[in-house]
Parts: sequence; C-alpha cells; structure tokens
Amino acid sequence: MNSPVVTRAHLVEARDVVKSFGQTLALRGASVAVSPGEILAVMGPSGSGKSTLLHCLAGIFEPDRGEVWFDGQRLNTLGEAERTKLRRTAFGFVFQFGQLVPELTAADNVALPLLLNRVRRRAAYKTAEAWLDRLGIGDKGANRTGELSGGEAQRVAVARALALAPKVIFADEPTGSLDSLAGEKVMDLLTGLAREAGATVLLVTHDARVAAYADRVVMVRDGLVSGDLGAVGEQVSAAKAVR
Amino acid sequence: MLRLGLRLTLRSGREALVRLGITAAAVAVGVALLLGVLAEFHAFQANASQACWSCTTGAPVPSPLPSRGELWNDSVDFYQGQTITRLDVASLEPSAPVPPGVMRLPAPGDYYASPALAALLKTVPADELGDRFPGHLAGTIGDAALNGAKDLVIYIGYTPAVLNAVPGTQWVTSISTAPPQEVFTPFFRYAFGVGVLAVLFPMLVLISTATRLAADRREERFAALRLVGGTPGDIRVIASVESVVSAFCGAVLGVVIFLLVRPALAGAALIGTQYFESQLTPTVWGYLAMLVGVPVVAAVAALISLRRVQVSPLGVSRRATPKPPTLWRLGPLVLGLGLYVYGLSKTTHKSIGAPAYPGLLITMVGLVIAGPWLTSVAARQFGRLATGSSGLLSTRRLADNPKTAFRSVTGLVLAVFLGTMVGTLVPAVNATEATPTAGALSNVLLESGLGFSPHAGAKLLSGLKAKGADVYPIYASLVTGPTSGSGAGPGGGPGGKGPGGGGALQVGPSVMTCSALRGLAVLGRCAPGLQAVEVTDNSLYGDNPIYNTAPIASASSAAYTGDLAKLSLITVLVRVDSPATLERVRTYLAVNAPPQESGGQGSAPTPPRTFGETLQIRIARAAAFEKLVYAAVALTLIVAGCSLAVAVGGGLVDRKRPFTLLRVSGTPVGVLSRVVLMEAAVPLGAATVVAAGIAYGMSMWAFVRLAPAGTAMPQLGSDYYALMGIGLAVAFGVITVTLPLLRRMTNPGNVRFE
Repeated sequence: MNSPVVTRAHLVEARDVVKSFGQTLALRGASVAVSPGEILAVMGPSGSGKSTLLHCLAGIFEPDRGEVWFDGQRLNTLGEAERTKLRRTAFGFVFQFGQLVPELTAADNVALPLLLNRVRRRAAYKTAEAWLDRLGIGDKGANRTGELSGGEAQRVAVARALALAPKVIFADEPTGSLDSLAGEKVMDLLTGLAREAGATVLLVTHDARVAAYADRVVMVRDGLVSGDLGAVGEQVSAAKAVR
Repeated sequence: MLRLGLRLTLRSGREALVRLGITAAAVAVGVALLLGVLAEFHAFQANASQACWSCTTGAPVPSPLPSRGELWNDSVDFYQGQTITRLDVASLEPSAPVPPGVMRLPAPGDYYASPALAALLKTVPADELGDRFPGHLAGTIGDAALNGAKDLVIYIGYTPAVLNAVPGTQWVTSISTAPPQEVFTPFFRYAFGVGVLAVLFPMLVLISTATRLAADRREERFAALRLVGGTPGDIRVIASVESVVSAFCGAVLGVVIFLLVRPALAGAALIGTQYFESQLTPTVWGYLAMLVGVPVVAAVAALISLRRVQVSPLGVSRRATPKPPTLWRLGPLVLGLGLYVYGLSKTTHKSIGAPAYPGLLITMVGLVIAGPWLTSVAARQFGRLATGSSGLLSTRRLADNPKTAFRSVTGLVLAVFLGTMVGTLVPAVNATEATPTAGALSNVLLESGLGFSPHAGAKLLSGLKAKGADVYPIYASLVTGPTSGSGAGPGGGPGGKGPGGGGALQVGPSVMTCSALRGLAVLGRCAPGLQAVEVTDNSLYGDNPIYNTAPIASASSAAYTGDLAKLSLITVLVRVDSPATLERVRTYLAVNAPPQESGGQGSAPTPPRTFGETLQIRIARAAAFEKLVYAAVALTLIVAGCSLAVAVGGGLVDRKRPFTLLRVSGTPVGVLSRVVLMEAAVPLGAATVVAAGIAYGMSMWAFVRLAPAGTAMPQLGSDYYALMGIGLAVAFGVITVTLPLLRRMTNPGNVRFE
C-alpha cells in the first residue's frame, strides 16, 4: 500500500477509518479532513458514529483500520505517551460533562493542563485567571466546579481548552446539557475565541443551531461521512440566517 | 505531580476530606490494634528474658555456718487467688549477693514488699495476710524483680540461726541471672505469631479496602486528568500520594490511639500477666514499621488496584469482566475438609495426625475462595424470596459482582470460623480438667504432711475452728524417724510441723471419722453404725481435681476400732465460707503449720490451697490461651467490621449518582438503606452460617477423636455467643452509622453531579 500524501492544507484528517466495539461497527470507512483555523461541525443521528469519529481524530480511540493524521503526523501509529503529549500540548477538549475534576476549583481546572505541561505555577494560574476573565467568570475562579451552574462549568471547560493555545479543539455536544441561552453563550465564546486564536474546532452536535456556528458541516450516517446534509442543511442555513 | 497529588488529597473539598478521614480512621484502628499486639509481644518477650532470681539454686547449708553468701528459702503463698512469691533470706556477710529490685538484703526483722503487696498489707486485716510475714515493712521492691505492677513479692530478713532452722533453707553464694525456663514460652511465642498474622491479614484487607475507598469517583477524576494530558505515570503518582497521605495520617493517628489506650492495656492482663506500662511498648522498629510500612503497603495496594483498570481519557474500563463464580470454587474447601478428616483419622489420643494442620489451613483458604460462589447462590435464593424493590436492587448487584460483595465480609467470616473453633474446643479442653464433683470441694482447703502429735493436732484444729472454718481431719499412726530440722519456724509456730514432723513415718492406715466424711460426702461414706474408717487418701494429694475428688472411702471400707485420741494429725481439710475466712485460715496455718518440705532442689514448697485454687492453677494456661485467642478473634472482628464499614461507605460514594437518581425518581431513602444493609447481610449471613457450621463440625470431630471416651460433648458457651453476637452487631451498627451519609449524599437537591 502506498503511503498517503498528506496535504499540509489539512490539519486533521481521517481516511477510511474503521472502528468497531465488539460486534458493533461504529465507523465503516469514514473520511474527513479539516483545514487549519476551520470550524467543522459533525452532525448525525444518535448512534451514527460521530463521537467515535471525533475520538479517533483526537487520538483517544485507535482505529481498527484506516489512517488518522494530525499536522503531518500519522496519529494512529504514535504510542500512547506521544498521543498523551499531544493532548497536553496541541489539543483542547470540551465535552458535554465529565471533563472537569470536581475536587478542583475553576482556576485549578484551567491551570491543570498548563501545570502538566511543566508551566511554572504562578504563570499557569495567571493564564488561567486571564482566560476565566475573558469568559466572563473571573469571579468564579475559587469556586469548585460542583458549585457552578452548567453554563459556567462549560465556560470553565472552554477556558481550559483554550488556555494551552491548542491547534485543535475537540468539542463533543458542548451545549448538550445547557438551556438554549446558556448554550448560545458558550458557543459564542468557544467559536469567537477559537477564531481569535486561530484554532481549528471539530464540533460534534445533533443541534442545527450549534452547527450553524461552524464554517462547514458534514453528516455522519451509519459510520460514514457524507457532505449531503439533507433536511438538516436547511435547518442549519435557517439557524445561520437567524444568527 | 506530587504537589497536585497533595492538593487533590488535602484541599479538594468536603468529600475529599471525608474520604481522607474515613481512610485514616480505618487505618488508625488497624495500626492501633497491631501496635497493641506487638506491644503485648514485646512485654511478653521482655518478661520471658528477665533475670529469674527465684530460679536460684543453692547448696545444703554447711555446718558450721560459712562466712560468705547467704541463707535462702524461697516459697510461694496465695492470697485471693493471687500468688505471692516469698523469699526468706539471711545475710552471712556484708557483701552478700542481693536479689533484684533492692539495694541491700532486708535486716533481720524487716521485710521489703512489692508495691502491690505493700498496698495489700496496708488495707487487709493482719490476720488475713500480714501475720504470715514476721517483721516490719522497711521498703518496697523495685520493678527489676517484678513482671508487672500487680506482682506480689516479698523479701523477709532473718538472722542466720533462725532461718537455718526452717526446712528447705539453702546456702546461696550467687543469684541466678538467667531467664526462666518456661515450658510454655515457645508455645506463647508461636501463639503471638499466629495472633499477629490473624490481625495482620484482615488489617491488610482493611488498608487495601480503605485506599480503594470511592474508587469509582477517584477513577472519574483520573479519567479527567488523562483527558487533559496526564500520563499513566502521573496517575500512578497521584494515586500513590493519595494513599500514602491517608495511610500516614492513619498510622500517626493509630500510634496516638495506642499511646492513649496503653495504660488501660497494661492493666488488662490480656494473657494473664499484668505488665508494666513501660514494658508494654512496641520497639522503635515497631513504630517505624507502622509509620513507614503502612503507607508503603497502602501505596502498593493503590497501584495494584490501578493495574486492574484501564484509565482512559473517556473513563475507566475494567481489564477483565469478572465471570460468575462456578461450583469449582468449592474445590479447595472440600479438599481442606477431606485432609482434615483424614488427618484426624490418623490421630491417637496422644498426637494429632499431621494432615490435619494443612487441612485446617486449606479449609480457611477454601472458605475465602468459596465465598463469592456462596454469595451468588444466596443472592439468587434471596432474590426469589424477596419481593420488594430493595431486594431486587441488592440481589441484582450481589449476583452481578459477588466477589466484591464477599470481599468486604471476608474478615468477619474468618473471625467467625476461628471463634467457633476456639469456642468449641477450649471449653472442652478445660472441661477435661475438672469434673462436676470438683465444685463440691472448691472451697475446701487441703493442708497435708502435718504429722502433728495428738495434742498439737487438737490445738491446731481448735485454732482453725476458732477462725470460723469447718475442719475434717485425717489421722494416722506415726513413728519418729531421723529428723531434718527442728525448732521454731519462721512464723514462730510449733516446732516444724509439730512433734513427729519432719522425719516421722506413717506406720498404719489413714483414718477419718464418719462424721467428718458426712461433711464431705463427695469423698465417700461409711457403712452404717461405724465411728471411723480406714481411708485410701493417696488420690487426695495429686494436683488434678479429677483425682482429688475420687472417693477415699466407701461402705466396704474397713472400720477403725482403735483409739482416735492416740493418732497423729497428718492432714486437715478445711471448708471455708468466705474469702476472708480462707485467708484467715491460711494465715493461721502459715504461722502455726508452715510448709515442712521443700518441693525439691530449687523448688518452692506447696502452700495450703483450696481445690478450687488448684483447679484454677491447672487451667490457667488454657484460660490464658483462650483469652489470647478470643482477644485475637475480637481484634479480627473489629478490624473486619471496620473493613465492612469502609467498603459500605466507599460503595455509597461510588453510587452517589444512581442512588440520587433513584431518590429523584421517587425511591424512598428507606428502600436505599435496606439495599445497603442487604448487600452486606446476604453474603455475611450465608458465609457465616457455612463457616460456623463447618468450624463446629470440625471441632466436634476433633473432640470425638481426642477426648477420653465418655466425655460429654461440648456446647458453645455464653462467651462465644456474646463475642460473636457483639462483634456482628457492632459491624452492622457501624454500617447503620453510614446510613445518614446515604440520606445526605442522595439528597435530590444534589442532583447536579459537577
């Protein structure tokens, strides 16, 4: 098999990725490519494989077959230690829940990846406080995440994702647990600050209003990626028009 | 990473502090108990290696008296069931060797007493104790001569001439500094080793359980750390720091608890000896082992528990899904029982068949292995019977993971097994030492070897009656042989043991009046119409109550037709009605009929004592063993109870989310409480019944094989039921303490989880 030629125009790319869990085939040859600075929304019905695709692109899951590339490196041939280092230095994550350490304060959580990255403590906390300020929750730095509202907790997650100046932010249903108003606020901040920082965003959602924040939308159906959005495309267009 | 680990452990809010507190408290209990066992062992070792001055052996006193060394006569006495070690001593030179605990030998007419005996002498009437010791209290004996604070020891000073006249006196030029040759020392050392292991095993389970407290919540945190780039190495460091900090706090707390309870422990006389508090201490190495070893063990336990899971950025997955336990798990148990039965089949009344020992061990291991299978079977059966929602919830979880459910009760099950075996066998062993009739003579004191002339005998008997006692004399004809000493005894009583004492020889049968025999019916009876009979009294003088209470006369005993007034008094049995009367009688006998014969070279003469005291001495070792094992079982129950409580508490924290959701959806908190209780009760109940049943069966089989034919089958005593009942009740009591935590933790107001 020939080694694929990866165009540097794509920061993240999946080629014919196959991933199964036991007897269940989640991805059956999914391919997608994301350019630097692009915000890509991945939509699809429940169980279509969109989260699995995101986790494969982030190096959390190893595909059974196919290739995953990041910034010229073939991600699925890297070892666990190298992929861990990437998560610490180049990737940011915003999930629906379960991503924050509940025992730590908001500032601790934002500073954590910096501390893991051997940034000096004082500098890490200064950066964390600056990001919390930018996300409008500077007064919540000393609060534990359990004491925050859902929207505030998601903003902490966004601050944490951005604090490391990542190349890519992986967001899996980032507004899934929020009401529409809080969701909009989180999405405004996430996409606005990502664009400002020049970060690429991969956004998994089933919500057309959230997808409307993206530059491009792809659909995952039955483990395959398709550019054909069908009826969802109209909803996204309508949501974009409203925005 | 160390800093982050410390931060997560110490400054992560109330839940983390509660977790730290529970873990530290659990470890503290284990450490305090282990320190207690080590301290008892250290005190026992120190005691066993202490110089045994009473082991000193001397030589016959030369004539004329030499000008060096000292005259030495050591003996034992009794007061209220306690032994008094007595040394009568007379210096032959100014630099005569001095026994430990004093600076110089007591002067003639003076005595030194141990603090406990000095206190007794001040408070007890002189005719019950003080009159036995001629002279005045001139000082107290120091700790170097004593085993513990309650030891009763006295050194009495005499002039050489007076002491030389006392039978059994020896000439001593040096005092023994060697430790005593205790036959039972290796046995107790072994028992301590077993005790340490018995506590150590459940304590390791406790520490391991405690360090895995709320493992699911902790693993969520680890997954979040992995998501932001924490490496598996980082996770290991954080997990180790958490475990080490909580275990170290627990170890320090355990040391503090031990130091606080040490005075009470010193006074508890767990194995029959009350040690000095200063002796009751683990060595420096013991403390170090606790403060360093326990955190290390905790860190290892935490790392082992991490090996069983895969911490990924998306969460934690088990490396292997546990398969349901199969019937094969009964294999080791059956094998152990088979070996045990085979070993006992090779047992004779003199020795136990060798395979019985590994059989016992394999049976215990087999119980642990079979436990999950028993749990799953019990859960299925319970699930069929239980109709409520709590039954459904608890049995479903038990059936899904019986290994985890059983692990939390393993210690309790082993404690019940061990306790049942001891509770059956030890009282049975004690029962073989006594017969039901032994109680009939328990308050009867035996003074033998008197050899008093008819006149002196009558005087002695009237003196004893004046003390409020009933007397039952035995007479015989004596002829005077070569004497071994004469003159006044140390108590100033009649010469030796009266005229005819010392070298007197019995030439005819022993005789007892029928009126005296009627007073001690257990010893037999006369044929009607007789005044006195010849008795076979040899069995009276053995130290086993079984022989003591054998009849010495019967209807066929020969009548004695001679003149009783011409016979010498050789033995007197004295029935007393109170402890005070007993001590007055003993004091009277010590003064008026002091022990005549030494027990042999270096052995103390036997003082007068009741048959009850004899029995008490004989069973003291078995009682000490019983106490020791019961203490170990109690400790095991406590530690195992703590493990259960920690496991239950940890389980609650882990299941905060589903339990809260159940409450939100309308499940009453009472149902959830019952779920928690059932999850502990079902495996514990099933395994306890099986363990107790097997232990009882094994004990009975051992008893059948080992006990003399005709011995009644032993029954479990009240001590057993009390210990097991209290132990299991406390364990469940501790679980109920966690129920308020369940109510608070699952408050529907807490429905947000982050």
